[in-house]
Amino acid sequence: MTTTYTVEVNDVHKRFGSVHALQGLSLKTRKGEIYGLLGPNGAGKSTLIRTIIGLHEPDSGSVTVLGHNMPSKTVLSRTGYMTQASALYNDLTVYQNIAFFAGLMGCRDRAAIEEAIAFVDLTERMHSPVGTLSGGMRQRVSLASVLPHKPELILLDEPTVGVDPQLRFQFWDHFRQMTAQGITLIVSSHVMDEAERCDRLGFVRQGQLIAEGTSESLRQQAGKDNIEEAFLYLAEQKGVLNNHE
Amino acid sequence: MSNNRTQILAQRVIQQMLADRRTLALIVIVPMILLSFLGILIRHDQAKLVVAYINNDEGFSLAGNEINLGDRLETLLADIDEFNTEIMTAEEARLKLDDGDIDAAITVPEDFTANVASTRKLALAVEFEGSNPMLSERLEKLFERLALQSINTLAATGTPTTVPVGADSMEFETAIDATYLHGGKDYDTLDYMAPALVGFFVFFFTFLLTCISFLRERMNGTLERLQATPIRSYEIILGYMLGFLVFGLAQGAITLLFTVYALKIHYAGNLLNMFIVEGLLVAVSVNLGVLLSTFAQNEFQVLQFLPLVVVSQGLLGGVIWQIEDMPKWIQPISYLMPLTYGNQALRGVMIKGESLLNVGDSLLIITLMAAIVIVLASRTAGRTKI
Repeated sequence: MTTTYTVEVNDVHKRFGSVHALQGLSLKTRKGEIYGLLGPNGAGKSTLIRTIIGLHEPDSGSVTVLGHNMPSKTVLSRTGYMTQASALYNDLTVYQNIAFFAGLMGCRDRAAIEEAIAFVDLTERMHSPVGTLSGGMRQRVSLASVLPHKPELILLDEPTVGVDPQLRFQFWDHFRQMTAQGITLIVSSHVMDEAERCDRLGFVRQGQLIAEGTSESLRQQAGKDNIEEAFLYLAEQKGVLNNHE
Repeated sequence: MSNNRTQILAQRVIQQMLADRRTLALIVIVPMILLSFLGILIRHDQAKLVVAYINNDEGFSLAGNEINLGDRLETLLADIDEFNTEIMTAEEARLKLDDGDIDAAITVPEDFTANVASTRKLALAVEFEGSNPMLSERLEKLFERLALQSINTLAATGTPTTVPVGADSMEFETAIDATYLHGGKDYDTLDYMAPALVGFFVFFFTFLLTCISFLRERMNGTLERLQATPIRSYEIILGYMLGFLVFGLAQGAITLLFTVYALKIHYAGNLLNMFIVEGLLVAVSVNLGVLLSTFAQNEFQVLQFLPLVVVSQGLLGGVIWQIEDMPKWIQPISYLMPLTYGNQALRGVMIKGESLLNVGDSLLIITLMAAIVIVLASRTAGRTKI
């Protein structure tokens, strides 16, 4: 069965106690696109990503990833998930870390692991313990660790947070190279200037998708010059800005 | 496939341990240091024992032979290497015993020989200093041997014609009438403790290391990443068990060799049996570590678990004190502790040289406990939040 959409989120609700984190959110991503999730801290971006990857089970609604109903363990080997803070084992080397996560995904191919390390330009530090690397390098290791098993979908939760501008530029360059291979990327960010680089954007506010489209169409829709103003305008339009639960 | 992921995780645990040379060194060296201390202390006491001998025996004439058992005992006492005998008066002995300068006082009354001859019962009145029950127990054993020897000399001197009518031979009963100034009769030796300590160290370190590793897995977000891979909770737990089993057994083996060669502990059992018991203990402690890591928010809190989970088992699990000798009401707590059964099995296997079947009951209970904690740990292993 061929699915036109790599990810389908249909009317998903998720509550944590009294917090209504996702409030009937729906979205779809196409193969080979970068879909940006934009929104302030606490908007529900991380919860959404975690629900897509199957770490949270939706209270209602459904999530389909590469044709599999989530949560599903079997489809996970075709996906990659880069968490917000680089989740790595500090006492292990760059190679050991990447080989470990690749191994769990079913990839024990040395060449693919080394290729991923070369992709983020860390070949020289391959055998350094991750704990001895700088923050930016760790972030690159984190990115490389989702690559060797050639996933079709990668979710990146604020991959460029705390990353200097030069490295951020490199990251987006990497992302483009990845989509050129047909990989779908879902990238969350609260940095508005990153939005311009996404193929499509979803504005997330209080657990809802308040607007969706290319950055240009969103700016036009709001009649604003930049994406930040567009976001604020559209949020107000939807009446969710001051609508606290 | 599932084996594969478990193996990959086990491999990672091993890599992490190998990367942490300091921890690796500590898990091997610490047991050796502590066991050495214990050995030194026990053996040091052994050399210093002093026994007071108060001899008031006036002797007894048995069929024309003047016999004085008190004097014989004195000669025998002088030949014993395990302690020094000092001849003194009852008053001196009293003072020294009270001050703790001597470890025991043997008092032989005026009618000692006469009594033995007429009752054919040798009763030795010994007062132990007793604050170290292990020493008192050791002395008591020696005195018992001594009493037997002194009677044998009586048998050797006496001719069959001197035997009182009705007696078929010169058979005497011996008895030690022991009183204690402090403490009781409980005792323990390094030999008795060593197998249990080997198990204790394995339990201690694997619990501590898993608890902290797993806590870090939660804190660093790697557990969340693991959950976004096809690996399942039970595979994570099995991987941890496998990884720590390697180090648990290695530590057990090194500690054991150390106790055999450096501390000269006598074992009768075979190593494989011991490894099997230790393997089961590792299964319990790894899973207990994973389980309790859920309740810790940082490494300090993990350390707080140690007195509760590990030290309490050291005290009540029969490592030093026998459970049978503990107050009745506290014994049920002992019997809830995995280390209790680990100790029973290790002692059985290592000291008595029993087969695994002989200690089957203990093994069964440890296995059961392991199963319970594995199930509980598998359930909590999925929780990523601290």
